[in-house]
Amino acid sequence: MVTWRQVTMNLEGGRGMMNRRRRTEILIQGNSDLAREFAEHIMEHYPYREVMSPRYGLTMIKMRETAKNSLFHLGEVLVTEAKVEIKQQIGIGIVIGMKEELAKHLAIIDSAFKANLKETKEWEERLLEEEESILTEKIKKQTELLETRVQFETMDM
Amino acid sequence: MGYVAVKGGTEAIEASLKRLTYERLRGREVIEIKTIQSTMRGLIDQVMSEASLYEPNLAALAIKQAEGSMEEAVFLLRAHRSTLPRLYYSQTVETDRMFVERRISASFKDIPGGQLLGATSDYTHRLLDFQLIHETKEAIEQWLTDYEQERSPKLPSKNLIYFSKVVDYLREEGLFTEHEVDNTPPDDITKKSLEFPASRSERLQTLTRGQTGAVTSLGYASLRGYGQVHPTVGEVRVGMVPIYVAPPNETTEDQENDYYIGEVKITEVESFVPVTKNYNQQENDLEFEIGYGICFGQNETKAIAMSILDQCLEHPEASFPTHDEEFVLLHIDSVESTGFISHLKLPHYVTFQSKLDSVRGVKQEVRKNAK
Repeated sequence: MVTWRQVTMNLEGGRGMMNRRRRTEILIQGNSDLAREFAEHIMEHYPYREVMSPRYGLTMIKMRETAKNSLFHLGEVLVTEAKVEIKQQIGIGIVIGMKEELAKHLAIIDSAFKANLKETKEWEERLLEEEESILTEKIKKQTELLETRVQFETMDM
Repeated sequence: MGYVAVKGGTEAIEASLKRLTYERLRGREVIEIKTIQSTMRGLIDQVMSEASLYEPNLAALAIKQAEGSMEEAVFLLRAHRSTLPRLYYSQTVETDRMFVERRISASFKDIPGGQLLGATSDYTHRLLDFQLIHETKEAIEQWLTDYEQERSPKLPSKNLIYFSKVVDYLREEGLFTEHEVDNTPPDDITKKSLEFPASRSERLQTLTRGQTGAVTSLGYASLRGYGQVHPTVGEVRVGMVPIYVAPPNETTEDQENDYYIGEVKITEVESFVPVTKNYNQQENDLEFEIGYGICFGQNETKAIAMSILDQCLEHPEASFPTHDEEFVLLHIDSVESTGFISHLKLPHYVTFQSKLDSVRGVKQEVRKNAK
């Protein structure tokens, strides 16, 4: 007998650590105004050096296929990358697409976290709020998609 | 006779390029990149997949510049790709974290989470909709407003569902062979040309960027008898997968320290193929193997056809062209095949004169012998 199960992520997921993986998910998936606001605040209050202006490049996507569980390359995706230094800490911003401004803002935020600036503690609440809003939007979209779910009925023959 | 080397044509070529621009502009209409991106989803996905570069904006630009010619658009995007530095390799993408927009199975009626049709033309009547000729922005706005209002404002759940793979359930039941996780670093056909026998990673990379028509035709040929694979589609899923890269210059292997860089849309297919295996040299056991297909964007026909060809190439012992990796892998690339075919229209004056000379010589000989 086949048993079915599915993985879910919910709105009460909790606070946990605001590590880089989670932070960049929020800043890229959420409203880009948030990254702009954080970055502009840092630029106003701290000296910074643009180590690398936003530039375009490629990221090769490595995938695991599900037939033999082996790895292969799916193809490349265009990314924009920027690097900024604050207090001897070089931050990197990488984002899919041609998004110079966002890449630079992400680099500033990354270096702010690396340099352990006090502002980064204050950002946590905003990041959590944005994360909840992103998840709500995703659930809403999924709910709409679930309207296309097939309800099978067995016919009497 | 002697051969004469010639040069020239510069002015004619310049005039021809001008004429090409004239043909693109003479209708006095501007098509915005944004318009192509918003309305030509299928075309953009196909161009990105065949060019092996995911960037919808540039794909739309290539389509505009190429005046809708697929082969030209793919060529433009592939050429542009070669001008960009490769900055990163992603962390391994696992599709169980896909945000699924469409997911169907031809093998099971009831799958967890259900069959999700999503957006598909599968159930349309394929009758031309003449109303689209007079479609207006106002009509579009009205339709979208009505659609928004139809939607339920309430969230029925607080959960976001990540759908498990159909094949995972069958593996748990022991119906399919469980393969150990294989972390052998994959080969890269953009760094090293194909050599035969090709590795599995080279085969998959070549197939996924193959020309849609070529991959579909060869997959179809296998079904029709020029191959030994006729699968049942276990699962087709279309959706967005997140991409992460490891931090450069940091020694940590903690994935929580990775950079999320965004997501890409893909179509992924697992096809179930019955095979007979002889374990005890006496009894023939029937088992299932999996053919794997995947591509950028939503292109289900290509992904299904790829899953057939993947399974064909796993069995080179069969004496069919679709099981011959050299035959399949060397002929499905859009840039290579269209490039080679179209080079035939470029000047071949010298080689053709040589052939003419041979024919004249033979004819002369025949005439001499006839006298």
